[in-house]
Amino acid sequence: MVLSYLRRAHSSFAAHVFDIPPRLMVFLFLLILLAVPITGISDYYMGILTSANVLAIFAVSWDLLVGRTGQISLGHSLFLGIGGYSSALIFKYYGLPIWITIPLAMLIGSLFSVLIGFPCLRVKGPYLALVTMAFPLILYRIVKWAPLTPIFGRVGIIVPSFFHFLPIRQQVIAEFYFTLILLFASSVIIYKIANSKTGIVFMSILDDEVASQACGINVTKHKLMAFVISGMFASLAGCLFVHLLRLAESSVFLLTVSFIPVIITFLGGIGTIYGPIVGAYIYSILDKYVLGQMLPNLLEQWQMTLPTEFEYAKLLIFTSIVVILVIKWPRGIARYTTDRLEDLEEARDLDERGPRIWKRYKQKNRN
Amino acid sequence: MREDLESGKDTSRRTGIRPLKVLTMHLLEVKGLTKRFGGLTAVKDVSFHIDEGETIGIIGPNGAGKTTLFNLLSGFLTPDSGTIILKGENIVGLAPHKIVNKGIARTFQVVRPFHHLPVIANVMVALKSPRGAKKIEWLKTMERKAADILEDVGISEVMLEPAENVGHGILKRLEMAKALATEPDLLMLDEPFGGLNPLETDFLTKSITRMHLDEPSRAILVVEHKLYALMKIVRRVIVLHQGEKIAEGKPEEIANNKLVIEVYMGKGIQHA
Repeated sequence: MVLSYLRRAHSSFAAHVFDIPPRLMVFLFLLILLAVPITGISDYYMGILTSANVLAIFAVSWDLLVGRTGQISLGHSLFLGIGGYSSALIFKYYGLPIWITIPLAMLIGSLFSVLIGFPCLRVKGPYLALVTMAFPLILYRIVKWAPLTPIFGRVGIIVPSFFHFLPIRQQVIAEFYFTLILLFASSVIIYKIANSKTGIVFMSILDDEVASQACGINVTKHKLMAFVISGMFASLAGCLFVHLLRLAESSVFLLTVSFIPVIITFLGGIGTIYGPIVGAYIYSILDKYVLGQMLPNLLEQWQMTLPTEFEYAKLLIFTSIVVILVIKWPRGIARYTTDRLEDLEEARDLDERGPRIWKRYKQKNRN
Repeated sequence: MREDLESGKDTSRRTGIRPLKVLTMHLLEVKGLTKRFGGLTAVKDVSFHIDEGETIGIIGPNGAGKTTLFNLLSGFLTPDSGTIILKGENIVGLAPHKIVNKGIARTFQVVRPFHHLPVIANVMVALKSPRGAKKIEWLKTMERKAADILEDVGISEVMLEPAENVGHGILKRLEMAKALATEPDLLMLDEPFGGLNPLETDFLTKSITRMHLDEPSRAILVVEHKLYALMKIVRRVIVLHQGEKIAEGKPEEIANNKLVIEVYMGKGIQHA
């Protein structure tokens, strides 16, 4: 009796734990990431992971707007720059601590997204992509404009690290944990929004705007909502980005930065929450480790060095990877993997169910 | 014909009782509606009215302006002239979603489901609109209400399937479920039987009739090519030809109307 009770308890436990693989996977992923600093890897590699966390926030916010609402934005660096510059300017002129500058930067980012959202959301599809592309370039010029140099600085605004009061090693570890917590919080918030009833409305706009209107949905309002939420988290990422670089500079507004979330999201899988996060880690490791360290080291063995123009060629490499992915695995690496896992699960279920159905069939035929 | 329709006036004269203004107010009143596309006049000076609880059919050959009229009524197009008065309020120039929230819901000729969403979530989109949310009964969740609507149109078995995986017949009914979710005063069905087999057509005819019995105050406007199925569900038919209203009356009258037969079948040899 005890044995049967134990077996039942085990099976219900298994049903509870193994029937929610996404949560378990997230938990394991988080556990591994939390354990990274214990392994004692160098500050440079910690920096790669920290920047991956920030890029993941950036890509997750882009994915809410593009992957879930269907509003193609190719100018997301705008919010990155606005978040970064506003936090840097607040620091420069008021010297406020981070727990005030971060919410303020997010607030300013969302205000700007309302301002920019109104003209942008009057156009659709490729035209929207073109319009959003233009805005960061305008801001790039403004920041570079000579009469405003006293405000924005010649090379940028120098800001301290978040944890400037700690020694270097602890500072790096603290930054890593801080960005990881913020990534976790913002991705949970965006996941909750995307899976709420408002998220369903966002998806309906992605699928068919006209049908959504015919259901009585105020499409403009919901698009603007997605725009503001996305802008808010992108400016959070910008704020973190600037404090990691210790410098707010005009290059954050460049088009190449706008393409980073596109690359990341297509690497991971569009329209999911884990896609951009996994994509961000893959991108950072490819960008900083494989192309930034492994390749030069490898070439050094053959007495070769990379030309300085290689920085620009990186984008070419990544865009070609994206093109191949879009053709081969249009749903991204992470999504491809989870789909495979689901297929396996289904096959297992069929295996379990199969003999039982067969038995029932035989019983039926006997009578 | 017009005098026929306004027979209410005659009875009032005979009995000496003037009907109250409030009672005679139509649910929807369309006056002199005109829409031009460049040189083409798609809808030309069309006037009609719909009362509460009426079932009306709009028929006409291809290019008669039926769908344009539909788009004008639901706000997807703005008329060049004319007024559309819903419960005493002019709705010309309002955005489509505002018109839905005022109580006119429509379906599309070509089904427009939300492919990425499950069938039940398709209905929940409509329930998320202001009118849909207001109409959810007390102590009822949105999911429950959506499931009930799907039960009513008879597709509750595929509730959790993604909309991209279900068949055309189900999508047709899903279109209707989406329109019904806002509990409209006027339900406009654009070719509800298009692409359905006779069995499905029969089922849908029955379900529309039952729907009308359940909610007698809801008016239904149907545009349809399958005249046989249409004539069974409507009480009054409006015939459009080249953007103009050429006839209006009971189905039997329309079926015997010479002008309508001429438009549909062409002129006989003896006339030529």
